[in-house]
Amino acid sequence: MRNFQIRAKVANGIAVLYPKGHLDAHNVARFEKEIVRLIRENNFKIVINGRELNYITSAGMGIIMGYIDEIRERGGDIKLCDLNQRVYETFDLVGFTKIYDFIHDEETAIDKFKPVSRKA
Amino acid sequence: MTNSNQFPEKPDFAITISSQTQLLRMVVELTRHITVLFHFPATDSQKISLAIDEAVTNVIKHSYRNDEKKQITIEYYLSSRGIKIKLIFTGIPPRTISEEINIKKMIKNKRKGGLGVQLMKRIMDSVEYKTVNGVNCCEMIKWQKAN
Repeated sequence: MRNFQIRAKVANGIAVLYPKGHLDAHNVARFEKEIVRLIRENNFKIVINGRELNYITSAGMGIIMGYIDEIRERGGDIKLCDLNQRVYETFDLVGFTKIYDFIHDEETAIDKFKPVSRKA
Repeated sequence: MTNSNQFPEKPDFAITISSQTQLLRMVVELTRHITVLFHFPATDSQKISLAIDEAVTNVIKHSYRNDEKKQITIEYYLSSRGIKIKLIFTGIPPRTISEEINIKKMIKNKRKGGLGVQLMKRIMDSVEYKTVNGVNCCEMIKWQKAN
């Protein structure tokens, strides 16, 4: 069994990544490859749904950090949702929770990318 | 409190591994088992294991530049007050950075590395690196919380 898997879906210009398992320095290249692929395909609005992510180290967080500037420069962002407590605490330990949007569920995260309709 | 004299002179447990990232998960699980056995709460146990993962990863990537033929010895010293974990390795001596990281600056510089040591320092009560006669040592201590 693989320690780490990742799948993606793109709909209405918003990409959702579903990392699964144990993300450490050994398998981080797989995660980076997926982020780079999305950027190359001009998908800059990215949601990472961490529902099935059990573990993350600085290697995985470093990928999110390394590409966010380019993504934001192109009008996009990376939003994280549905993380378990352990993974959330790891992000919080290095201060990511102050820099990135951490959202409870995928639907709300996707909605955050949608343009806000102006009131008449 | 960073006094490491409160631990036994010889390690209670030691393991030598080759410098391979595929062994990281084994080290994490081993550390988790040892810390749980010595009554660390589950949340502390998970964090200590993460700190060791980061420390070993740094050795593999930076000191050994992914040379799988190199070796890392991990020693566990246990006492009722806490746990001391030593990594012993050769290779390029680690650069020790004392200042706090600035995430916003790292994002601007498109950096992917530099978070690992910060994680180690925020999890453990003490993290010290030293090099003597070409042998590097990373010593980390986590004290048990008083009941």
